[in-house]
Amino acid sequence: MTLNAWLPVFALMTSLVAALVIFALPEKGYRLRTAVNLGAALVKLGLVVVMVWGVFRGVDYGVSFTMVPGVAFALKADALSMMFATLSAVLWLLTTVYAVGYLEDSPNRSRFFGFFSLCVASTMGIALAGNLFTFFLFYEMLTLSTYPLVVHRGTEKALKAGRTYLIYTLTGGAVLLLAIAWLHGVEGDLPFREGGHFIDADADIHLSLILIFILLVAGLGVKAAVFPLHGWLPQAMVAPAPVSALLHAVAVVKAGAFGIVRVVYNIYGIEASSLLGVLEPLAWLAAFTMLYGSVRALSQVALKRLLAFSTVSQVSYIILGVCLFGPVGAAGGLVHLLHQGIMKITLFFCAGNYAETLGIHRIDDMDGAGRRMPGTSLAFTIGAFGMIGVPPLAGFITKWTLGSGALAANMDWVIAVLVLSSLLNAAYFLPIVHRLWFREPNGSWPRERRWGRLETNAWLFWPPLLTAVMTVVVGVLASLPFSPLSWAELIVLREYSP
Amino acid sequence: MMCPESVLVLLAVCLPLLYPAMALRAEGARAMRYVMPVLPLPALMLALGAEPGWQLELPWLLNGGLWAMDELRRLFLLLTAVLWTVAGIYAVGYLGDHHRRRFCVFWGLTLAGNLGLTVAVDVGSFYSFFALMTFAGYGLVVHEGTDEATYAGRVYLVMAVLGEMAILAGLLLASAAADSQLLTDLPAAVASASQRDLIIALLVAGFGVKAGLPLLHFWLPLAHPVAPTPASAVLSGAMIKAGLLGWLVTLPFGETALPGWGALMIVAGAVAAIGAAVLGVCQRIPKAVLAYSSISQMGLMVLMVGAAMADPGRAPVLFSVIALYALHHGLAKGSLFLSAGVSLPAGIMRRAAVWLLIALPGLSLAGLPFTSGALAKLAMKEGLSEDPLDFALAGYLSPLMTAGAVATLLLVLRYLWTLGGKLENRRNPPMLAAGWLASVGVSLVAFWWMPWEVEGLVKSPVWLPAPYQLWALVWPMLIAVALAGLTLLVARLVKQR
Repeated sequence: MTLNAWLPVFALMTSLVAALVIFALPEKGYRLRTAVNLGAALVKLGLVVVMVWGVFRGVDYGVSFTMVPGVAFALKADALSMMFATLSAVLWLLTTVYAVGYLEDSPNRSRFFGFFSLCVASTMGIALAGNLFTFFLFYEMLTLSTYPLVVHRGTEKALKAGRTYLIYTLTGGAVLLLAIAWLHGVEGDLPFREGGHFIDADADIHLSLILIFILLVAGLGVKAAVFPLHGWLPQAMVAPAPVSALLHAVAVVKAGAFGIVRVVYNIYGIEASSLLGVLEPLAWLAAFTMLYGSVRALSQVALKRLLAFSTVSQVSYIILGVCLFGPVGAAGGLVHLLHQGIMKITLFFCAGNYAETLGIHRIDDMDGAGRRMPGTSLAFTIGAFGMIGVPPLAGFITKWTLGSGALAANMDWVIAVLVLSSLLNAAYFLPIVHRLWFREPNGSWPRERRWGRLETNAWLFWPPLLTAVMTVVVGVLASLPFSPLSWAELIVLREYSP
Repeated sequence: MMCPESVLVLLAVCLPLLYPAMALRAEGARAMRYVMPVLPLPALMLALGAEPGWQLELPWLLNGGLWAMDELRRLFLLLTAVLWTVAGIYAVGYLGDHHRRRFCVFWGLTLAGNLGLTVAVDVGSFYSFFALMTFAGYGLVVHEGTDEATYAGRVYLVMAVLGEMAILAGLLLASAAADSQLLTDLPAAVASASQRDLIIALLVAGFGVKAGLPLLHFWLPLAHPVAPTPASAVLSGAMIKAGLLGWLVTLPFGETALPGWGALMIVAGAVAAIGAAVLGVCQRIPKAVLAYSSISQMGLMVLMVGAAMADPGRAPVLFSVIALYALHHGLAKGSLFLSAGVSLPAGIMRRAAVWLLIALPGLSLAGLPFTSGALAKLAMKEGLSEDPLDFALAGYLSPLMTAGAVATLLLVLRYLWTLGGKLENRRNPPMLAAGWLASVGVSLVAFWWMPWEVEGLVKSPVWLPAPYQLWALVWPMLIAVALAGLTLLVARLVKQR
C-alpha cells in the first residue's frame, strides 16, 4: 500500500484519535485538551490541503477492504469528496476555536469535545466514503455522535429535542439502509463513480430504480431537512451555539445534501437520473422547501429558530442545483455546499456571541446591538446579505450560477423561485440588520458580560469575522482557481465527461 | 505594466470602499468627516484627465471583471465625482454629532457603489456596485432616526429590493440570451431574444425604481427630503442617474425599433414630467418640492429614452443629449438641494446675493439663457425635433417639452417660495458655505469646460443663445412666471375676503 492509499485513512484517523484522547483526558485538562483539539484540526487541514492539490493534479487516493463478500469498506478522494472534506476541515478548525471560548467554565467539556471530534470524524468519513455502504456507516455514526451534543445542556427541553432528533434521523437511517440493501440486491456493490452506473440500465429494472431513488432521497432527505422531513431541525436549536453552527453548516444537513449529490451523480449518474424522470419532481420539492423554509422563518421571534428555518430553505438550493440537468446548474448547487456552510456558520457564531455576551436570544432584543458589538454585527450583516444573495457575496454567486443553469436547462420557472426566495430572505434578514445598526438600544441588555478590550471573548470574536471575510472573498474572487466556484466547475467537468 | 488609468480606477473605487475602516479606531473616527471631500478625487481625475477608451480586465473578479470607459460613462462618472465632492465638502460643515461615524461609513460605501457602477462593464461587478449603492444608501436615508425617516427608509428598502430582484431576473435572462457576462453584449442579444419583452419589462421596471418612473417613484419624495441635506443632493443628483445609466447600458437601443416600448416610455415620461409638477407645487417642505422636481426632470429624460427606443437610428444622437441633460440636471439639482441647508447672512446686499445664487441653478433647470439648462434644453429640442424621428408619438414631443419647461420653472418658484419662510438668519459653517458655493460654481461656470458633446445639435454651444433661440427658451418661463403671479394674486384676493 502506498502513501496515497493511506492519506484518506490518516485524514479520518486524526479526528478519531483526537476524540479518543479527549475522552481519556481529565475534565480539568483544559490546556492539553485545547492543544489536542486545535492540533488535530490543523493536521487534518494540512492533510486535506495536500489531497486537494493531488486531486486537482489527477492523483487517485483510495483504499478498499472487503468486509463480507460483496460488501467493501472503501475510502476514496475525488473532487467532490474534497469539496466536502475542505468544508469540514476549515470549519471544524474555526468551530473548535469558537467552542473553546463558548464552553469556558461549563461542565462536561471533556464529553462535549470528545463527541465533537467524533462528529467531525464522521463528516470526514462521509466525505471520503467510496461506496454507499461506507457512506451509510459514517452517516449513522454521525447521528449517534451528534445526539450527545444536541442534548449537551441536559435540560428537559434539550432531551425532548434530542428524542425528536433521534426518531427522525434513525428512521431516516433505516429507510436509507433498506434502499441500499435493495440496490445491492439489484446491482451488487456499487462504488461511487463519476458518471454513475445506470446509463445503460435495462428497461425492466427502471421501476425498481425509481422506487429505490425515492427511498434513498427520503432517507437522506431527513438530514437534509427537505420538506416534510425537516421537523427535527428547528427543535435541535436548543443545542449550544457551536453545535448548531456545525450541525447547520457542515455536519448533519450537509451530510444529507451531500448524500443526495452522491446518489444522483455517482450512483445513478446525472443522465440516467434525468432519463428516469426523477430529477424534475425532486427539483419541485426542493423549490417548495426553499420557499416553505423562508415563509416559516418570517414569523420567528427567536434568532436561532429563524436561522434554523433559513437552513431548511438554503440547503434545498443545493438539491435544486443537483436537479438542474446541465453543468452550470450543477456547479451552482455544488458551490452552495460550501457557500451555505460559510454563511450559515457566520450567522450561528454571531447568534452565539449575542447570547453569550449580551444574553440576547430574541430578535426584538437586538436593537442597537451594532454599536455595542460592531465586529459581530458586521459579520452578521455580511452573512445575512450573503444569504439574501446580494452581490458580490457568496450567495450571489450561487444564485447567479443556479439561475444561469436553470435557463440553460430550460427550467425558467426556477428564476421565479430564486427571486421569490431572495425576497423572503430579505424580508426576514433586513429587519434584523436594521435593528442592529439603526435602532437605539432598549435600555439595558438582558444579561451582559464583559471581556477586556474586545467586544466579547477573543475566542468568540474572531471566528465569525473570519468566516464573514470568507463570505466576501469566495464571492468576489469566484473566478480564481481553487475558489469554491472553480472547484465546483472542476467536479462538474469530471461528472459530465467522465 | 499597468497603465495610469488602471491605477486610478482601482484607487477611485477602493478609496471610498476602504474608507469605512477608519471607523475602527477612535482617532480615525474623529477625523473621518474631514476625509469625505477627498474620497471622489481619484474618480474626478479619471473622468477629467483620462481619454475614454481605456479598459481594465480583472479576470479573477466574480464571473470575470471588466471595467472600462466610453463617452457616455465618462459623463456619468464626472457627474458622480463632482457632485459627491461638493456634497462631501458641504457635509464636513453640515454634520452634527448624531451617529456621525455611522453616516460616514455609509457615505463611503454608497459612494463606492455609485462610482463603481459607472465604470463596470461586466454584469457581475455592475450589479454588485448597484446593490452596494442601494443598500448603503439606506443608511443615508434613515440617518436622522425620526419616524418619518424610518418610514421613508422602509418604503425605500422595499421598493429597492423589488427593483433589485427585477434587475437580477432581467440580467440573468439577458446574460443567458447573450451567453456573455459583458454588458456590451446584452443589447444586441436582448433585441433578438425570444423573451425580449419580458427582459425589457424587467429591466425597465428594475432600474425604473431608481430613476423614479411613475408608480415606481413612491420612495423618492419620501426619502429625498428626510435624508441629511448632502445625502439628498447626491441621492437626487447622482444616484437617481444610476437607474438611467442602467437603462442606457442594458436595453436594446439602436438595434431594433421598439415602437410599443418607446410609446410606453414616452407616456410614462410625460406623466412624470407633468404629474410630478402638479403634485410638487402642492408640497410645503422645500426638499419635497425638489424631490418632485427630480421626478419631473427624470420624466423628460425618460421621454428621450422612449424616443431612442422607438427610433433606433436616432439613438446615438439622443444618447449624447441624455448624457448632457443628466449632467446638467445633476449639477443644478445638487446645488439646489444643498441650498436648502444654508442660512442667510446679515446685510441686504449679501442676502440678495445668496438668494440670487440659490435661484440661478433653479432657473438653469428651467432653461435660463446662458446657463447649462439652455444648452440642455436646446439640445433636447433638436434631438427630439419631429423631422428625423420616425414613430407615431413624435409629433407630441415638442408640446410636451414646452409643458415640461413650464412645469420646471413652476416647481423652482415653489421651492424658492417655501424656502423663503424656512431659511435661518445666522452664519454658515465655513465648509458648508464652501460646498454650496462650489456646487453653484460647478453648475453655472465649470460646466462649460466639461467634456459633453452636442456636435450638430446646437450651433456655437458655448456662446448661447443665438437670438432666434432666445424666444424659444424664454416664453415657457414667462408663462410659468405669469401663472405663479396669478396664483399669488388669487391667493391674496381670497385672503382679503
